[in-house]
Amino acid sequence: MQEEVQKQAFGSRAVKAPRITQGGLLLGIGLAMLAAMLIVTIFAPFIAPFDPSATSPDSLAGASARHWLGTDSIGRDVLSRLIVGGRTTLLITITAVLIALVGGLVLGLLSGYLGGLVDDVIMRVLDVVFAFPVLLLAIAVVAALGPTVPNLILTIAIVYTPAMARVVRAPVLSVKQWDHVEAARSIGMSEFRLVLHHILPLVVSPILVATSLTLSQTIFTVTALSFLGLGPPPPDPNWGGMLSEARQFMELAPLTVIGPAAAIVFATLTFIVLANGLRDVLDVGSV
Amino acid sequence: MTRFVLGRLAWMLAILLAVSFIAFAMMRALPGDFAIAAAGSQSVAPEVLAAIRQDLGLDRPLLAQYWGWLGHALLGDLGTSFVTRQPVRAELFDRLAVTFQLTLLAAIISMVMGVATGLAAARMRGAIDWIVRLYNGVMLAVPNYVVATLIVLLFGLYFPQISIFGYTPFLEDPLANIGSLLLPALALALAVSVTISENTRAAVLEVANQDFVMVARAKGLPPGRILRDYLVRNALTPVITATGLKIAALLGGSILVETIFAIPGMGQYLFDSINSRDYPVIQAIVLTAAAIVVVVNTMIDIAYARVDARVQL
Amino acid sequence: MIGTGPLLSVRSLTASVTTRREVIQAVRGISFDIGVDEAVGFVGESGCGKSVTAKALMRLTPEGTSVVLGGEVNFMGQDILAKSEIEMRALRGRRIAMVFQDPMTSLNPVLSIAAQMTDMLRHHTGLSGKAARERCIDLLAQVGIPDAARRLDDYPHQFSGGMRQRVMIAMAISCEPDLLIADEPTTALDVTVQAQILRLLLRLKEERGMALMLITHDFGVVAGMVDRVNVMYRGEIVEAGTIESVFASPQHAYTRALLDAVPRLQSAGQVR
Repeated sequence: MQEEVQKQAFGSRAVKAPRITQGGLLLGIGLAMLAAMLIVTIFAPFIAPFDPSATSPDSLAGASARHWLGTDSIGRDVLSRLIVGGRTTLLITITAVLIALVGGLVLGLLSGYLGGLVDDVIMRVLDVVFAFPVLLLAIAVVAALGPTVPNLILTIAIVYTPAMARVVRAPVLSVKQWDHVEAARSIGMSEFRLVLHHILPLVVSPILVATSLTLSQTIFTVTALSFLGLGPPPPDPNWGGMLSEARQFMELAPLTVIGPAAAIVFATLTFIVLANGLRDVLDVGSV
Repeated sequence: MTRFVLGRLAWMLAILLAVSFIAFAMMRALPGDFAIAAAGSQSVAPEVLAAIRQDLGLDRPLLAQYWGWLGHALLGDLGTSFVTRQPVRAELFDRLAVTFQLTLLAAIISMVMGVATGLAAARMRGAIDWIVRLYNGVMLAVPNYVVATLIVLLFGLYFPQISIFGYTPFLEDPLANIGSLLLPALALALAVSVTISENTRAAVLEVANQDFVMVARAKGLPPGRILRDYLVRNALTPVITATGLKIAALLGGSILVETIFAIPGMGQYLFDSINSRDYPVIQAIVLTAAAIVVVVNTMIDIAYARVDARVQL
Repeated sequence: MIGTGPLLSVRSLTASVTTRREVIQAVRGISFDIGVDEAVGFVGESGCGKSVTAKALMRLTPEGTSVVLGGEVNFMGQDILAKSEIEMRALRGRRIAMVFQDPMTSLNPVLSIAAQMTDMLRHHTGLSGKAARERCIDLLAQVGIPDAARRLDDYPHQFSGGMRQRVMIAMAISCEPDLLIADEPTTALDVTVQAQILRLLLRLKEERGMALMLITHDFGVVAGMVDRVNVMYRGEIVEAGTIESVFASPQHAYTRALLDAVPRLQSAGQVR
């Protein structure tokens, strides 16, 4: 407060050299990590040195020039399985969050913009979904529907939609009372265009940050489900399933556990770094 | 205040009702015939299936089934396991006691670790702050089941003589009981302690900027007293609330951690019943866990409102 | 150990404030004196450096954000800027006390008034808990809080803004300081309450024979309150003198502008 006032009183006389801010640095690192992960995932079949499902008699081997991360209990190359397994894990994660984002946008905009009864009904319904622990709800739904990729995507999307809707709703509530929205309405702009041109752009920043954070949480949920045996069915590898399978012989081949663990942590960290970078750069308060 | 409490309680009941309906409907939405699942085999005589249908009330309208089921649940009858053919309640309560112990221990560990590191980071700044924040940032990305697996790996590789699996009941040997829960609780606590640490740090930094802290300094009070009476007491209220809200995360996490450490709690029960498709058990666990979370959240809301009335500036 | 000369003597005090992007010279070599039991006003717009000056006198500048760069501060014959933090602690509240601008945020919301008053009193005077409580009731009555004995155990949120400022004043005078710094003590209050608080401050100053440093942006506040006034602008004292002379013939254009901002009726009464 005091400082702000003083800055105004004295004007700014200090030299402002362009420098890399902490947020910019974080964002850069996050984007680089994301790019690396996406490239490896998209070109997985070309990058993976072995067929991820091909077994060999050389089981539970340690790291070697041939198998960088060794082999698992039935002689499959761990690195190849990790690279290909990232496809399933990330496909489910990203698709589910995109669906949750669309659902959250629709519900949040409706709720925040229309207000009143619509707002009440939507928020109360979402409260009920919120009451369940995320993982528990996901387990219950997947257990009921059966663990297939579409079911997993649908479940995760349902589980994370309420959180996204809340993130969208809060800024809409305040933005819609700003003068420029009033002004646009007074010159007879249609409601749809109003929302599209004057409200949506202002809530983009918090939504980007929240999406990134949700992605990091979703990685956790998806891999945890697979870890519990509720992941995509074999033989396609996925990180959570690999970690779970490898536990049996992990003292003999620690890399079979450390590999998927590192992959899960790397993916989660990517989205957390990205979220923090975005938050700083876009100057979003806590979401 | 009374109005607020009554309102929250009414809302809690409404949510519980909705939660119970979801738990009920979920199992009726199962693909395939519920009676076949209940019989545990595809090749059952039609008469037997009919008998099961009648027994479970599957021939009645859905809403009537729900009311019947809810009535039983309220009286403590949570159904019969497909696998053991025993009432779910007795086993669930035993398991719940174990999970409660584990969660409580984890909550204490995470609280102590989180508040200590958060406070240190906020007060000392500099290198300590940097290290705590880096640790928090990285640990936030390590899921609790990965921590648990790595702990198991570490002990398997370097201390194979120490048995880290299994569970000793409290009444049998209190010390061994705590010992058997220590590592699982630690695995569960680490992720939560990171959040508490970040919350504590932010809260202390925010309170440190408040006028009354400057006033306390102007009064000539020693730093230790300012820290205790002015900073921590004000910063901890929101931190404790946030920790209470983490109870859902702890419950969710216990599913995985119990499975890894072979702790016979509710999480492992759920895991086992998922694998054996024991739907009444899954249903009972989902209902119980969601009910616990709803009730705990409501209590925190009310407790916080009471504190807030005093704190309200 | 009162030295000869004025109670407080400040020479070429310079202080800076660091914001996120830059360092600002908030106080640029100001000099002034405050005599024993004298009331001195500091008037200027927000950001002119008057609050930074007050905090610098108590060495309350938060680490890293504002720094005293140089000059001399002599209080009762002691060099304030040379003191250690521990020595300063013995001085703060005991010899120099301060009343802050916003009574709504100056009290700790989770401690009772009794706890907040006695912690300071007992720390400085070593009074027993019971004696300290008695003293607090007495002080609260002196600053005009009705039913003081019963209100002592109340929490800040149970008091109005004006009452809270009275509590702050009671707290500030509890250890019988030699200098009371009041930093915009009435700015956050209703107009009717402002006058009451100012009268209270003046009365306490007269009764106790302490010096008063009254900081404000409003010439209307210092009129009738202080003996001398310093007008601050952009970190410097641009005009100093007795209240009468400054009101009668302001030398600096900025002072004239400030005086013009005071409602006519009030200043007309002062300007002869």
